Parts: sequence; C-alpha cells; structure tokens
Amino acid sequence: MAPVGRIVEPVTASDALARARLRASYVPDLLVEARRVVNTAISGWHGRRKRGIGENFWQFRPYTEGEALARIDWRRSARDDHTYVRDNEWEAAHTVWIWADPSPSMLYQSATAGVSKESRALVLALALAELLARSGERIGWPGLCDPVTARNAAERMAAQLAHAAGLSARPDLAVVKRFSGIVVISDFLDPLDDIQAWLAPLAGRGVRAHLVEVADPAEEEFPYAGRTEFRDPESGERLTAGRAENYAGDYRNLYRARREELSAWARRLAWSYTVNHTDRLASEALVHVHLSMSEPTGLERPGR
Amino acid sequence: MIAGLPLAFTYPLALWGLLALPVIWWLLRLTPPQPQTEVFPPLAILARVLKREETPHKSPWWLTALRLALAALVILALAGPVFNPRETLATEGRALALVIDNGWASAPDWDKRVATAARLIDDAGGKGAPVILALTAEKPNSDIGPFDATAARDRLAVAEPRPVPVDRAGTYARVAAALETVPGATVAVLSDGLAASGDEAAFAGLLGGSAAGLIWFAPETLSLAGLTAIDNEADALVVTAVRPTNEIAPALENIAAFDDKGRRIAETQIAFATGQARASGAFRVPFELRNDFTAVKIDGADQAGAMRVLDESSRRRRVGLLSAAEADTAQPLLSPLYYIRRALAPFADLVEPGTVDLEQAIPALIDQKPAVIVMADIGVMPDRARLALTEWLEGGGTLVRFAGPRLAAASADDDLLPVRLRFGERALGGSLSWTEPQPVAEFPPAGPFFELAPPHDVQVSRQVLAEPTPDIVEHTWANLADGTPLVTGARRAEGRLVLFHVSPEATWSNLPISGSFVEMLRRIVQLSRNQGRIDAASGGAGAALAPYRMISATGTLGPPPPDARPLDLSGAEPPVTLENPPGLYGSEEGVVAHNLLGADAALEPLAIPQTPLPVTRAAYAFDESKPLKGPLLGAALALLGLDTLAVFWLGGVFANRRRARAARAAAVLPAVFAAALALAALATSALAQDNDSRPGDAQAIAAIEKTRIAYVITGDPAIDAVSRAGLAGLTQYLAAKTALEPGEPAGVDIAKDELAFYPLIYWPVDAAVPVPDQSALARIDAYMKQGGTVLFDTRDQYSNGFDDRSASPATRYLREILADINVPPLEPVPDDHVLTKSFYILNGFPGRFNGSPLWVEASLDATSREGRPVRVGDGVSPILITANDLAGAWAVDQNGDPLLPTVPADPLQRIYAYRAGVNIMMYMLTGNYKSDQVHVPILLERLGQ
Repeated sequence: MAPVGRIVEPVTASDALARARLRASYVPDLLVEARRVVNTAISGWHGRRKRGIGENFWQFRPYTEGEALARIDWRRSARDDHTYVRDNEWEAAHTVWIWADPSPSMLYQSATAGVSKESRALVLALALAELLARSGERIGWPGLCDPVTARNAAERMAAQLAHAAGLSARPDLAVVKRFSGIVVISDFLDPLDDIQAWLAPLAGRGVRAHLVEVADPAEEEFPYAGRTEFRDPESGERLTAGRAENYAGDYRNLYRARREELSAWARRLAWSYTVNHTDRLASEALVHVHLSMSEPTGLERPGR
Repeated sequence: MIAGLPLAFTYPLALWGLLALPVIWWLLRLTPPQPQTEVFPPLAILARVLKREETPHKSPWWLTALRLALAALVILALAGPVFNPRETLATEGRALALVIDNGWASAPDWDKRVATAARLIDDAGGKGAPVILALTAEKPNSDIGPFDATAARDRLAVAEPRPVPVDRAGTYARVAAALETVPGATVAVLSDGLAASGDEAAFAGLLGGSAAGLIWFAPETLSLAGLTAIDNEADALVVTAVRPTNEIAPALENIAAFDDKGRRIAETQIAFATGQARASGAFRVPFELRNDFTAVKIDGADQAGAMRVLDESSRRRRVGLLSAAEADTAQPLLSPLYYIRRALAPFADLVEPGTVDLEQAIPALIDQKPAVIVMADIGVMPDRARLALTEWLEGGGTLVRFAGPRLAAASADDDLLPVRLRFGERALGGSLSWTEPQPVAEFPPAGPFFELAPPHDVQVSRQVLAEPTPDIVEHTWANLADGTPLVTGARRAEGRLVLFHVSPEATWSNLPISGSFVEMLRRIVQLSRNQGRIDAASGGAGAALAPYRMISATGTLGPPPPDARPLDLSGAEPPVTLENPPGLYGSEEGVVAHNLLGADAALEPLAIPQTPLPVTRAAYAFDESKPLKGPLLGAALALLGLDTLAVFWLGGVFANRRRARAARAAAVLPAVFAAALALAALATSALAQDNDSRPGDAQAIAAIEKTRIAYVITGDPAIDAVSRAGLAGLTQYLAAKTALEPGEPAGVDIAKDELAFYPLIYWPVDAAVPVPDQSALARIDAYMKQGGTVLFDTRDQYSNGFDDRSASPATRYLREILADINVPPLEPVPDDHVLTKSFYILNGFPGRFNGSPLWVEASLDATSREGRPVRVGDGVSPILITANDLAGAWAVDQNGDPLLPTVPADPLQRIYAYRAGVNIMMYMLTGNYKSDQVHVPILLERLGQ
C-alpha cells in the first residue's frame, strides 16, 4: 500500500516564478489600500481614485472658503460665475512585505494534492509580488531583501531566493515598519503560542498582516487507516498508531480548532486569514488576498 | 483403530508432527505485522490525540490460535485418517472364489450384496489374488474366471438379480472345476438364504476340493413372501401366499390386483398367524372386475416371487356383433344392435369388427374366437365371409340371427338359417289385414327357453315366416299364439344356429324391450362356449408362445428381456428358467401365465453347510469407511482463507470502502457466471417434434378440402366424359344458385379409392362394362352403411319395354350389382319427401329423359303424415336410382353450353334437371333439415313469439 504523503524536493525559484506570473496574470492590478498618506510618501504609478497629491487631473470642485487661493484654477473659473479648484488624483505607493515559510514540513505533498505546500507557498508569494510590483508598490522579503519599487521586483526576488541558502525559519520582523503590510504564507503547524508570540509585535506597530495558511488535504482529512507509523519531517519523531482510523475524528477536531483559533486571533487584529489547500487552485487564495488587501481596513472609517 | 472412536490412521507416524506445534506457536507470537510508515507534518497535533503508544509486539491471540489449528489440521490430514474403517475379512487364501446367489430372493437387498462382493474383490485385488466370480442364476455357459480384480469388478458391476430360482448344483460344480486351477482359494458364498433341493450335494462338491476356507454370507432376516396360487372361486378370487418357515411372528401383507394397463383395481389382505408359513386372502369383488385382473402383487415387495400373473382361463364368453344398417355409427340409438348390446353387455364381452365391410368384418370377428356371433338383419353375405362363418359355425360356434327387412328380402336358400323362410314378411294387424298383433305363446318344452317365464306382454306385429316343414316343430324354440315360430334353432355339426323371426329393434315387435329378451339371450350365451383360447389356437396345438409381458426381478411387469425364449406348452409344465422367465406369454389377444412359485412351494431357510474348512460368518453390509484426508485438508484451506482475511483486516484493507466493494463484486462474479452457465444449459434443450404425416395424406387432404361430387369411373371413356361434364355443369349451377361451391368433380375407382370423402357418388350404369367384383361391391356396401349415397343412373328411360316385367340390359345389370349389396326397401320419391323441397319445390326429377321415377329408401312410418307438409324421417337415403340420365342433362362444355339435347328438346326440362340436381345435393348435405324446418312455426308459437 502506497503511503499517503511524501516529502518532495524544493521547487526551483524560476519554475515558481513562471507559475506565479501565470497566476498573477489572471488577477487584476492590486491596489493596496493606503491608509496613511504621509509616511510612505513616495509616489507610485497608480491613482488612488481619490484626490490627493499627484500629477494627473482628477476633478474640478467649487472653491470653499479657507483654501489657498493659489489652488484656484482660473481657466476653469473664468467660464462661469463660480470659482473652481483643480484637484489632482492621489498617487502613492505602499510597502508590503512578503514571506513564505521555508521549513521542511512545507515540503510535504500527499497523494491527492497536486503540489507540495512549499511550492504552493512560493507561487503565492511570487504571484503577489508580481501583482504588487505591477502596481508600483514597494516589496520586501524579511531577512532576504529590503523593500524596493521596481517593475521586475518579483523577478529579482526570485533570483535572490534561488541563491539564498539557509533562510531562517523565523526571520526577524523588526524590519517591518509602521503602516506597512505583510503577507505571511505558512502552514502554521507550529504551536500556536510560538506563532502568536512571533507575530504579535506586528500588531503593536500597526502593521496589517495577511495570513495565508497552505494546507495539504491529507493533513486535514486524515485518510490513514490500519496500523500506521507517523514520522515528523522536521523533528524526525515517530509515532505508531495501531488502528489509525480510530483517531481520525479526534485529530480532525483538534486540527480545525487550531485553525479556528488562529483565524479568530487574526480577525481580532483586523488581519485577514486565508486557507488554501494544495489540491485547489492557487488563484483562489490569490483572489482572496487580493480582495482583503484592496478593501479598506475600516480603521479610518468612523462609525464602524 | 482408536478405542471408542471409529477412526484409524493410514500413516500414524505423521502424528509425531503434532510435537512441532509449540514451536510454531512461539514463532507465531514473535512476528508482529509490519506497520505502514507515513510522513505526517502535523504530528504534534496527532500526538495530542494519540496519547499512549500503540505498537503491539505480537499477533492477537485468536490469530495465533487460528494458525495453530491450521498447522494441526495439516498434520492430521497427512496422517491419513479413516472414519469408520471397515474390517478386513480373513481372505488369506491365494485366490478368492465368489459365489453369489442372484435369484429372485436376492433382489430386495441386491445393492448390499454387490457392495459386500466389491469389498471382497478389492481385498483380493490388493493382494493380487485371482478371483472366481460365479452367479448362480446365470446361464450355464457364462464365464466364471478366474479373473483379475479389475475384470471381476467390471463383471460384478453388470450383474443383476434374475426373477428365476437359483441353480446351485450346476454353478457350484463349475466353480469346483475352476478351483482345481487355483488351489488354496478362499470360497466366499453370498447366499440368498433360501434352501433349494440338492443343496447339500452342491456344497459338498464345492467345498470338498481344494478350497482353503469358507466365508459365509447369509441375510440376517429373510423378509420375503411369495404368492403360490390364485384360485377363481364362485364369489371371490383366493390368493395364497407363503413366507419363510423360520418366521413365526404374525404378519399382515397387503395384496393388490392390477389390470392389463397396470392400474390398481382391487386390494385385500393376507394375515399370517403365528408360526404359520402359508396363508390365504380373498378378493371379494364382482365377477366383472375380477375378469380384468392381470396381475396380483404383494405391496411393497420388490422381488419376483411377490407377483403372480393371471391368464384368460377364467374369462367370460365373447360375443361378436354384426349389423348391416347404415345407422350404426351415426345414430346409435336407432342401431339394430342397440338392444342386443344393452342386453348382452352385463354378462359377455362384446366384440365388434372395426369395419362395416362384411367381407373383412366376419373373418376379423372369427379371429376373435367368439362364442356367439349375433347378426342383426343381414340378408346377403360375400361368399368368402359366408364360407368362413359356416366353418366357424360347424366348429362349435353359435350364430344368432335376427330378421328384418333385408333378411326378408334376401333369397330364401340361405343355409345359415335353421329353417327355410318364405320370401317377404308377414304383417299382423294394420288397415289391410284382419289379423291382430300376436302375443307369445308358452315356450315349447323341447326348446332351451322352457324354464323361462313366457312374456305375455310381448306383441308381434310383423315377422318372417318359416316354410312349414315336417321338422318345424322340433326346431321351434318359441311360438306365437297362432303357432307360427318366433324363435327357431338348429344344430349344425358342433355349432348351433338360432333365428329370431323379428327384428332386433322395436319396430316389428316389442320383444327387444321386454325382460324376456335379455333372459333369452343370456340363455343362448350360456349354451354357447368359447372357441378355445386365442393363444393356444393362434399357432396350432402345442405351439410355443412368444414372451409378452415379463415379471422383472424387482416385481414389475415389463417388456421381455433379450434372452427370453418362447414358452413351449407342448409337454409338461415348463420350469422357470432364464429362457422362460415368469410372466405372460402370448400376445395382446390372449396370454398364458407362467409363474415363479408352484402351488406347493415353501420357503425354507438355508443352513450353513457342514465342512471341516475354517468358516467365517459375515453379514451383508455397505462399505461405510470414509477417508478423512480430503475434508481435513479442505478445512485447513478454509482456515488459511480465514487467516488471509484476518491479515487483510488487521492491515486495514477493508477500511477502504472502494476496495471492499471491488472485493464483493469479485465474489459475486463467479456466482453470476455459474448462473449464466446454468441458463445456457437450459436453453440448449431443444424441442423435438413428431412428424406424423403418412403417405396418401396429400390426396386425402385434396379430396376433403372442398366438397366434391364423385362419379364412378366405368372404364368407358364416353360415359366417363359425360359424367365428368355433367357433374361440372351441376357444380357450376350449384355455385351460381346456392351457397354451396363444390370443387372439381372427382372420378373414383370403387375398387381402390377411398370413398368416404364424397357425399354423393354418381354411378352411370352401363351394361357393357363388366360387373365389379365382390370386394369392390363390399366397399360400396360399406360406403352406403357409413352414410354415403350412391346415385345409380341407368339412362334408359325410353329403352324399357312396355311390359311391367321387362327390363333393359342396364336394369338387369343394376339388379346384378344390387344383389350383392344390402339394399334397404325402396319407393319412388313420394310427393311429400324432403327431396321435393330441399331447395326448389319439385314435382319430378327429369334428366335428359323425363318420366322415370327417382327411387329412394322407403320411409319407416309412411302413415304419420296427417297435417304435415313434409314426411318426417331420419337419415339420408343411401341409394337413389333413376333412369333419366341426369348427367347428360347437366353436361356442359368449356363455354358452359349444354352438350347433349334433352328428350324432348325442352329448355325448361334442362332447368328442371339442374334443379333436381340441386335438390339431391342439398338433401345429401342437409339431410332431414328441411323436414325439421316445418316444426319451426310450432316451436316459435310454443316459445310465445
């Protein structure tokens, strides 16, 4: 009887990049909701569909008392009796950190899944990078590269990943500054306390995080039966179950409880939490993250 | 053999292998099943569920027990256990002589004997000893060996019990001779337990030679019973049975009687009292039923001695019946034989010929050897039949004749009458007579009816009269009141001739419906005697009788075996042998019984012979030893399958639903396959259909497919052409005017063709053609009696002289023909006859000529015509005679134009001729329908319409 799951070789960055570009091509441009205008005042390429600092015309509006006279557009105002002010469209860039879990447990791939978790995580990371780079956002990888704005940011990131060796399992998140965004792609199988202790400082700094859990269906469904010996790919620990099917129910409850708790914690912090199974399409997660990054956080909207 | 258990081992040393079981047990405990290894990243979560470590080091105890049992079974099977091992008989001799009784007494437990013998042969074959196999009820030339074991087994397989007594003396002598070639043989005697004469000498001869030992088989109990005699007594059929003389307990046997078709028709019981070996029972059933007994058998006894067959030595007298009336088959109540049949049936076997053709009927009847032949109103007989009848009569037969119109019209010089008769009959009473119907006088003391009470209520209104001769008184058995004889009788050599001067139905007198009629007939039959047994006479005295129905060894009646020979009755009572097995000899007509047990037979038990040889007694038994190696190995295989399933289950195979389903499907597949095979086997059984067509069917079907009018082919082409054209013209006219559409006219040769298919045969009489021979005329006679009608046409209306007595050549020719045919009384068609009204209303029946009357059978009661437009009568006249040349008037050519002129040349006469033809044809096909139609208004009135 063939085993349910196996450990696969890490995916090459170039392959992941190609697939990531394919996935990214299915998704419209991503406009990260900028919550703060001032601190990341580096102009971007894309209008924010609201008035602000920028180079392109947005709208004429009636002049209100108290505004600087210099802003009156006299050419327009001369056409009728009112006085108009010319507004430009706000064009700004945002800093987004992207990180995918490089730990050995991510290399797991079960028989029903199409790809390994690591492969899926890398594809998601690079696809997001591609999307964000298209929008002119600043993209960085904690512990690997600092945020840059470049059209080919995803490509550069892939090149650096390909050559990086010994990436730390838990990079130092102190480099993530206030009001940035971070996308954490992992299987979140470590003890909850560790994860929370690692991510909690981000919340204190007002960073908006998007947690993407990549899960293998075998991990969730527990399709094992009969006498089975389980081995942890990270620690090498072994565990033998006489009749594995007997434990399926309990295990599933625990597994789901872990996810529920983590996702509730993220929601409390106004973070998004996305689950992506490796037997489903990567685009699902990509769209979900796209939506949650595009939508307003709600923090600046009163009455909410 | 293990004490207390009927179990033995072929290789007991293999049982030491059981010592290896503890080692196997230890080995089994040490090898746990290998777990499936799985990588599992969320092990930390699983670890919280899977608190205790569950890695068993050993198999479950039941799996170990299963495997230990498997190993033990294999070891036991290798040791070759045998359940119920048979005992080996002491056949230490260098050869084996098997002497088996296969007479009738060994039939009930024959299988047991064969099994015992087969065991002995197997033992001898194991040692390579030759076997002498002799059966005591076989032919004396059958081969007895010595054989090797295989040949002996084959011979034993085809041996079967015989329904004959054993011949120990002859067989033992041959065995003793064969024993000379193989000295030191053990003799095994498988006896049937019944003593026979000469047993002691036979055993002395068998055991006195070079035999080394004797194994004696005899049945433990002789549960036999045989029937020794059957006596047909006055009021009962007494059956005597015997049983072995060493049985003394009271017993009750059911006896059943069977008829010739094997139906059980009576039963009774025979009670053996204590210590009695012979007992009797009686069938108290009516004599008529006893006459049907063919075999009597003891219920439940499946051997030949329990059955006894009966022959015809006690049968009733046979009476043959003959009549010349055409109404016999169509209207049984009007048949002249009706009252005779009713009177005779209770005390005689009635025999009737299958044909109405007297030339064949009388010899066929005489072949049945009847005691009496009754002829109702037969005037003339073909010469051959007359000769045969005379011969039979003089050989001792009794011929009873009844008068009637035909006899009255026959020529008077009939030597088959007791007295000379006057021509014609005498009518007593009626409008033209002064006499009154006469009662019957006292029976004269010379006649056989003297003891009977005279029937005073009988009135005779018509009779045939005897010529008054000097010896008339002594021939008279019964008189009328005026002294004229009513019944006369005479002896003819050994036989007796009786004539009733009245008709056998109630038209001439009411004698046939009186009780005296029955008494008189019974008296005559009592005076007669059967003309010997059919069987004995069939091939002359002292002839050998062919086997007919044989009693088989199991006590059933069946076809004779291939080696049965005819029974020679010439000498003394022949013995029951293989050539003459018990049963019925003869043929269907008559049989002779040949029975197994004589009247003084007794069933004596057979004692073991006195001999100095070592004697082993044994009993017949089936071989019940059963090797257990196969079942044990099968059980081990089943356990192996169970173990495999258990291992799969432990490995978690069945948790996978999909595979489990596949496994179930795989298990169902063979069953489906087997069912499909069975269906295919059923479908191959083909239906067989019989082809029962016979030669001549095609012509017969063609003849009756359509109604066709036939004409007699006279041999003169001109006459035949006119007949054919005439009938064709009538056919066209019929098709045009009526609902009847006949087929092409058919020409018939009365000597060869089947006549029964045609309703009407047109016979143009021509004096130039030779008269048909007797047999052809007999066929015409039979055709007329069976309901056909012949239309004679002399075609000579204007050729007759004016003298009343003159006759044209054609008329004389016709008289010549009719002299050999029983012709009913004739009359010209009366004006109220159905023929005048059956389609057209006609006054005459002209053809080419006009004026000749159409003669038909005279109606019976011509007087009852008051107020009725149509005469009432039954049946259709079997004969029509005209001189008008009907066919000539009907004849048309291809264009439908008339061929011949009418005389005188009157077109209306031709129309009337056609109408006459239509009426005749309608009369043929509808009979008295039109005369019955006249009742319709009265019937409707009665129904209140």
